[in-house]
Amino acid sequence: MINVVVALPAEARPLIEFYRLSDKTSIGTFRMYRRADMSLIVSGPGKVAAAAATALLAGCNTSKQQAAWLNIGIAGHASCATGQSLLAHRITDHATGKSWYPPQLFDLPTVTSSLITVDAPENSYCQEVAYDMEASGYYPVASRFSSTELVQCFKVVSDNREQSSANITAEGCRQLVTQKLDEIDALVRALVSLAQEYTSWRAPHAGLEQLSRQWRFTVSQQHQLAELARRWKVLIPDQPLWLSELDKKKNAAAVLQSLQQHLDSLPPSLVQKAQNARV
Amino acid sequence: MPVFSIIYIEKQVANHPRTQDICARFPDAARVVCDRYGEVFNPNSQDFRLQKRKPALILAHKHKGRVLETPDGYGLGGHRNWYFSHMLNCLYDCRYCFLQGMYRSAHYVLYVNYEDFGTDIDTILAAADSEPCWFFSGYDCDSLAMEPVSAFVQHFLPFFARRPLAHIELRTKSTQIRSLLKMAPVANAVIAFSFTPEEVYQALEHRVPAIERRLQAMLQLQQAGWQIGLRFDPLIYQEDYQLQYRGLFQQLFSQLNGAQLHSVSLGTFRLPRSYFKNMVQLYPDEPLFAGSFSDTRGMISYPESLEQEMTDFCTRELLQHVPESLLFPCTLNG
Repeated sequence: MINVVVALPAEARPLIEFYRLSDKTSIGTFRMYRRADMSLIVSGPGKVAAAAATALLAGCNTSKQQAAWLNIGIAGHASCATGQSLLAHRITDHATGKSWYPPQLFDLPTVTSSLITVDAPENSYCQEVAYDMEASGYYPVASRFSSTELVQCFKVVSDNREQSSANITAEGCRQLVTQKLDEIDALVRALVSLAQEYTSWRAPHAGLEQLSRQWRFTVSQQHQLAELARRWKVLIPDQPLWLSELDKKKNAAAVLQSLQQHLDSLPPSLVQKAQNARV
Repeated sequence: MPVFSIIYIEKQVANHPRTQDICARFPDAARVVCDRYGEVFNPNSQDFRLQKRKPALILAHKHKGRVLETPDGYGLGGHRNWYFSHMLNCLYDCRYCFLQGMYRSAHYVLYVNYEDFGTDIDTILAAADSEPCWFFSGYDCDSLAMEPVSAFVQHFLPFFARRPLAHIELRTKSTQIRSLLKMAPVANAVIAFSFTPEEVYQALEHRVPAIERRLQAMLQLQQAGWQIGLRFDPLIYQEDYQLQYRGLFQQLFSQLNGAQLHSVSLGTFRLPRSYFKNMVQLYPDEPLFAGSFSDTRGMISYPESLEQEMTDFCTRELLQHVPESLLFPCTLNG
């Protein structure tokens, strides 16, 4: 699952077409476009809008899967040529000076750059960095919902000292993103793959829910049960999460004790067994 | 040796000679300046397991707490025991290692102000009133594995050579011994190699050089006149652990002369509960973490009877190869 936050309709259009995001919803002033494994929201310009859109998208994601996040858009840069793509390795909010550092785990051809989020279109390009208007709103919010390795920011240079931001048109925006779709897609695939792995590591035992329904577990007991189910999944993955004696157990505490005793009686192993757990 | 695509640099050390040397080794790496390394290393919502795929390097200044007293029960017979960490996080990825439970980030932090560490060590020595002191490196990292980047040995071994009352242990699983072989052996330095049996090594010690390669590195150092030690810590339980450890000891001592070692220490697997909890969250699928452990006074360990059994067995086996005076069971009580 990947959530994409984009400021402008012109930036969004090529992505919507490329990924065939056919399911369109409007919530307030935000437009969302979806398919099963991807959601895209058009936030409008500015970091406050980006933050709000990110939070809204997170709230709409009811899946238990870990989602990756990607902000895509145009940016100014002091010296990079227009059309150059960049991944942000540092995002700084110009107003507060606060910075974030998206970990860079992928071996992708996209160059990384520092990115400063400003409140108005940049014209002076004082530093040798990229300038945008959304990242410092998007990134800290998205980081609350996913591990930061899965939260990235991809920009395409639209203006620099030679070409003013005043000359940017919707069509120009659209073309800049369109030209980088292959690169964007490589990043999307890498993020989605990593998010899927992350989700699979942490997937609970398939039989946990059924067991949870059969007896009344307190919150503390639910944690204990989840931990026992985790051990069960590792040690005896091909056995259902069940013991014949559980039928006779009157309460959750007795169930937990039985499961614990069974697991503790098993010989330890350092070798991962095939995961063919049945419910 | 990793090739870094990103090096984070604390503003304070941007012009430090060591920073510049290291950056010159990685000319293609993006250099990202930060105010304090904690901005990169400390934030929540990082995943150690994900970052371990491609850790970045962070160059920083260590301001305080550079040299600390070891916990009670940790030592090699000396009364004054200290440890210091020039680096956080390790090149290797041993699944039992507490670092993955302690730190949120897997990035390597290298404190480039080695001279300040030296000043603190000298302050401790001055206060010790001519009594020998032990300094243990290799707590938050492997002492040798990143030597081509850190030049830790190049700096600190000559430093200790000039201070005969200060003993240093370098604890390692690395075979990066070139720097050591290039210099005259330092009489008050011990190069201590950690081992687990082959089965445990294969299952848990990712990226670590093979047992035989580490053994050959030990032999080379010993032949060159260095004091070497063996470290069996943590001892990892399996049903046939006795067979496994006996086999390991036989392999090592078929080539090492036990009487010529400096020391042998051992200790069972144990770590703070909070670290263990983090490690389980990172690796819920790890068989080691699915075992049955004791949770006592905030520490996760094998049940006490099993700890004693393992320690007793390994001690008896080791005493067939080394004199008792060289054997130091670790007696940390958490």
